[in-house]
Amino acid sequence: MTKTILNVKQLQKEYTGEITYKALKGIDFHLGKKEFVAVMGPSGSGKTTFLNCISTIDRPTNGSILIKSKNPYELNDDELAKFRRTELGFVFQDFNLVHTLTVEENILLPLTLDSVNEKEMNESLEKVVNFLGIREILKKRTFEISGGQKQRVAIARAVIHEPNLLLADEPTGNLDSKSVNSVMTLFESINKTFNTAILMVTHDAYVASFAHRVIFIKDGGLYNEIHRGKNKKQFYQEIMDTLTFLGGGQHEF
Amino acid sequence: MNFNHIVVQNILRDKSTYISYFLSSVFSILVFFLFSTTAFHPMMAELDTTSTLGMTMMLASFFIYIFSFVFIIYSLFAFLKKKTKTLGVFMITGASMRQIRKMVFRENMLIAGAAIITAIAIGFVIAPLFLMVTKKVLRAESFGMYVPIPSILLTIVLFTLLFLIVSKFMTRLIKKEEIVKLLKADITQEKLIVPAPFKMILSNILSVFLLISIIKEMNWVKSFETVSYIALFISFLFAIYYTITQGTLLAIRVWQRRTSYLRKTNMLFVSNLKAKGRSHAHIIYLLTVLLLGVFVCTSVLYSSYYNVKEKTEALYPYSFQYTSLPDNTSEVEKDITFIESTLDKVGKYDAYYLAFKTDEERRIGFMSVSDFNELGQHKPITLSNNEYYVVAGNEGVRPNTEDIHGYPFGILEYAGLEEQNILSTGLQNVFYIIPDKVYETIEYPVYKVFAYELDKWTNKINVANTILSEVSTEPGMHLMASKIDLYDAEKFVKSIMFFIGFMLSLIFMSAAMSILYFYLQTSLEGEKEKYAGIRKIGFSVKELASVVTKELATLTFIPFTIAALILLATMFIIRNYISSAFYQLTAIGLGIFLFLFIISFFIIRRAYLNKLVD
Repeated sequence: MTKTILNVKQLQKEYTGEITYKALKGIDFHLGKKEFVAVMGPSGSGKTTFLNCISTIDRPTNGSILIKSKNPYELNDDELAKFRRTELGFVFQDFNLVHTLTVEENILLPLTLDSVNEKEMNESLEKVVNFLGIREILKKRTFEISGGQKQRVAIARAVIHEPNLLLADEPTGNLDSKSVNSVMTLFESINKTFNTAILMVTHDAYVASFAHRVIFIKDGGLYNEIHRGKNKKQFYQEIMDTLTFLGGGQHEF
Repeated sequence: MNFNHIVVQNILRDKSTYISYFLSSVFSILVFFLFSTTAFHPMMAELDTTSTLGMTMMLASFFIYIFSFVFIIYSLFAFLKKKTKTLGVFMITGASMRQIRKMVFRENMLIAGAAIITAIAIGFVIAPLFLMVTKKVLRAESFGMYVPIPSILLTIVLFTLLFLIVSKFMTRLIKKEEIVKLLKADITQEKLIVPAPFKMILSNILSVFLLISIIKEMNWVKSFETVSYIALFISFLFAIYYTITQGTLLAIRVWQRRTSYLRKTNMLFVSNLKAKGRSHAHIIYLLTVLLLGVFVCTSVLYSSYYNVKEKTEALYPYSFQYTSLPDNTSEVEKDITFIESTLDKVGKYDAYYLAFKTDEERRIGFMSVSDFNELGQHKPITLSNNEYYVVAGNEGVRPNTEDIHGYPFGILEYAGLEEQNILSTGLQNVFYIIPDKVYETIEYPVYKVFAYELDKWTNKINVANTILSEVSTEPGMHLMASKIDLYDAEKFVKSIMFFIGFMLSLIFMSAAMSILYFYLQTSLEGEKEKYAGIRKIGFSVKELASVVTKELATLTFIPFTIAALILLATMFIIRNYISSAFYQLTAIGLGIFLFLFIISFFIIRRAYLNKLVD
């Protein structure tokens, strides 16, 4: 853990409404460059809120978030947009593709917004398309492809500008087990080949076992964290044990 | 791929969202274009020397323009709402607010450009047809097709300006919200209707108060006449708004308390209404207002068209009325001989000759009772030697009955009043009918009147033209008034009004339908998902159809009913000022619109159900 890409201090988030609800009660966290971390926790523990705050799509109530030593919430709108499309990549459970654009256009969207020249665009596209193996579906529309393919497209869109930090919210939540495997393998290789740091929220112990480290959130606070050793299977078992301890996770027969 | 490519694809691949916006824009622009084509017609200057006609057409175009403003703003709101999630997706991929605004702006301008070009192209094709209709309505034989360059330029400039302003303004309104809210826009609950009984009561009381004070012509109204009308209009709009929203809320609450709520599909229907109460109520409100516009345009304008004959007769009671002034040196006999010989050739007619004396300063006329009885349009009266009778001089103005006491005619007693003017309106302020003996003692200048009444006078315009070309009003000499001529002119104006009203009501109607279409289109995806879910737990297509039918019927027929009720109430209030023909016409008009509504209801229902189930 030589260099830190993300540093979170005393992150708090309150939802004010008829009843004020504290989703995050002060979380400290740091993410190293090239690190792959999974966030786990029971439903309603605040893990997605945690990710959304880091993703710059939901403003925290208190605390600081530094991504590459910059606080994104101090940037103005233009700078923030630029920051999002150069430093961050997003993958969601429900893909969030633009349905009026084709697969290819969806992937190129971040570059288009940056007015990158066509040659560079094609080179980048070539690279991710090869990497993700989605050449045959490039000309299709988003509703003509399967869930697994949609997630690949979303991943392609997230990594085309080679961000330093990839943020994923339940990326496998809508996928079948085969697709889960291939998407997770993809995450692993993105992490290795592009040296992209990954922060991923999941409730699936198997998915989490692909990460280097798993942190557990309970009731809006950091509960525990475990590191992966050499053995992935053992790591999976440790995750399961922690989840059981948290309440939920493994079912008793 | 560049930025503009995204803009173009957004439109091309999402046609169903844009099509109704596009079509209604085209329609508004088209009507504007056609109106201005007529207004700028090269023959217009010759046809319409006083340029009132051109002005009316321009005014109508202007009204369409203002309406387009409002309508396009509304459409844009509907758009942005539908696109909220997509905007969120664009933002997470790194689009800045500026880029989002630029994108929405360009999309709009693209549609605007396409709409303007399409409208003018269609306008070119149907302009000859339109001019042919106009030729009939305006009775302008010279109205041929021409290349309407000024109106093309005007349309392009004005509508480009309109779209520019609206798009710029609207994109400013895209709020900078947390992206997470944008992304979840499609699943978060809408705002519910806020109970506001006091606002409802207040706005209704205010409207009624304003209405009564205008009808009763209270003092304060007189000093702020236009202001009070505008205030009434605005408070009326508020009253309708609050009544509809609060009424929806009340209906939902009542339904939910009833035991039948938990039976069959009632719960689904009512909870649907509740969840979407606010937007439903807004749609009902908009449709009601637009329909009111349609009804008012057609009924009022058509009825004014219908009453022309009675109104003309009230103004000028005679087919021809020749009034010879005291200083008339021209040859009265020659004129009268000409008139009568012309009339002889046409057929049967009644002639009345009489005279009256007048105080020219106060424009008070005195007529002997025998001369009064000479005129054939009213019941003869008998007066005893010390009585007088009062007759109106101006149409619709109650004459003063006491002014006669200022004259030295001895003591006369008031015997009665005729509120209808017996001679052409405005000739005198009032006529006092007095006993023949008294009349002879008066020394005021004498006016001689020669009045003629023809059978079936409405189609004798040729006779009127022949006579009027020879004998027309010569100031200081003699006056000539013909109801045939007036009727012809009035009918002309009224048919233009009706024509314009018809076009306006078409615009309102198309706007209403387009708003409904938009609304259904926007909620379609969510509804589809919801019903797909419910069908899985055992919900037949038939049951689905019944819920959807009820919901659609609420959206279409409640506005219709409210608008019709308001129209009928208005007619009841002004019943003293309108003829019975009006009721008949209104009934026919409402019937036609109801028919159109029922047809479009079934078409919409079918299309919507097909989309939902498929």
